[in-house]
Amino acid sequence: MRSRGKTYLHVWWNLCEMSFASQLSTRMASVGYLAGKLVRFTFFLVFLFAIFQKIPHLHGYTLPEVVLFFMTFNLVDVLAQFFFRGIYGIKAMVRDGGFDRILGQPINPLFRVSFETVDLLDLLTLIPILALTYWTLAKLPGSLTLSRSFLYIILVGNGVVIAFAIHVFVAALAVSTQESDNTIWVYRDLMALGRFPVNIYAETVRVILTYLVPVAVMTSFPAQAALGLLSLKGIVSALAIAALFLGLSRLAWRAALRRYTSVSS
Amino acid sequence: MIGRSKYVAVVKIAWQRELEERLSFILSRSRGLAVLFSLYFLWSALLGSQASVFQYSRRQILTYVLGMSILRALVLGSATDNLPSEIVHGQLSDLLLRPIRPIGYWAARDVAVKGLQLGSAVVEVAVFALAASTPLYLPDRLLTVVAFPASLAGAIVLSFVMSYGLGLAAFWTSQSGGPRFCFELILEFCAGAYFPIDVLSSGWQAFFSVLPFPYLIFYPLNIYLERVGPAVIARALCMQAIWIGVVWIVVNVAWRRGMRTYAAEGV
Repeated sequence: MRSRGKTYLHVWWNLCEMSFASQLSTRMASVGYLAGKLVRFTFFLVFLFAIFQKIPHLHGYTLPEVVLFFMTFNLVDVLAQFFFRGIYGIKAMVRDGGFDRILGQPINPLFRVSFETVDLLDLLTLIPILALTYWTLAKLPGSLTLSRSFLYIILVGNGVVIAFAIHVFVAALAVSTQESDNTIWVYRDLMALGRFPVNIYAETVRVILTYLVPVAVMTSFPAQAALGLLSLKGIVSALAIAALFLGLSRLAWRAALRRYTSVSS
Repeated sequence: MIGRSKYVAVVKIAWQRELEERLSFILSRSRGLAVLFSLYFLWSALLGSQASVFQYSRRQILTYVLGMSILRALVLGSATDNLPSEIVHGQLSDLLLRPIRPIGYWAARDVAVKGLQLGSAVVEVAVFALAASTPLYLPDRLLTVVAFPASLAGAIVLSFVMSYGLGLAAFWTSQSGGPRFCFELILEFCAGAYFPIDVLSSGWQAFFSVLPFPYLIFYPLNIYLERVGPAVIARALCMQAIWIGVVWIVVNVAWRRGMRTYAAEGV
């Protein structure tokens, strides 16, 4: 008898295979999307390097430090897209009855919906991002201690957990109202505010980005931890915010499922 | 009169279609705000207490950021994103049967989308500028009053023909979405829609200046900000005209060849 964990891993692997096969069958489109992701990433890097030709620091941060913030944003953003791309299609799934079929399967529907699509292109984009993040961490002034590296990894994981919680909120909204297309893109665009150190924003915006839509917790906190700039209070707050968002998202999902009466199937 | 009124009717219908799901429209506009926020605060942080950065005065660079948001809506906002889908799924046949020129139809839809997005962008930017007490740059040269609207009109036409031409790739492949996504990102960066391209090295600037992209946002804004002289203005307007001509020829050739291969699959 296979354990539950192995079953879910087996299902996830099958979903990966199907998603990858689908993307490989549309090679031109996939190459275009992959090239676009790399172009966007490269142009922003070029912009950062160009700025620092003339400006010594941005809000007290040097070029390697600003690049670290940018790479951390990309790491959390692309990891979330890689794992939870399925949520982008939940509105269509609800409208065409596919969600009803998922509810009838012997598997957690949130798991099934979240991993419905696993984006091979994001996996390929992760490779240069991970390489550049490692290179940037190595270039930081002073040595990166083991504890800071560990904190960085933990807080990046924490950021992905918050991203998952936000995706679950979007999924709950889609199940309740069939409105999700633009909601998920609002999240993506708010997330883009985390490209740069959150300190550059006005106080009000910083508070919103920390507590209401915790983009700062997802992207700036890990980078600050790697630089030794994040206090113990900040670390604990980050973990607490993730736990709170995860709990609330779970409640929202359950409430949405309880009220769901099917749209069509 | 009847000839013009059908295009006016298309504009009105497209307008209604865009506003059918008002929440979706509002949420889609909020996306532009995120770009505005991040770039405005970035440039404010780069300026710090300095009066200028990259040879832009404080007023000029902050006005550039606000102007970018408006021009993104007016110049880059487009209805021709739907053209590939209509070709691939055979819905183009419906349009071909009607007494309306397809390019005129799409231009009318583009006008509707641009109008809506412009109206929204102006409100968003005005509210933001008031809230942030942004020091705005106001031109005072007579030449700017003439040259800026001219460059803006050229940018709108150039953007439309490029986007329309790209949409015609759907005659030959159903997978044009990916290349279009890549092209649009390259276009946005090279057009100066994220940052003025003169922050890059002179080599990059020279390379970009032979492409059509900087004439969509960067040059019109620099004309408004009065950072360029009459010679550069004349060159920019000429380049817009040349690229409009080149792309127009490509679009016509692509349309004629596409019509020969069009099979209305999916109907």
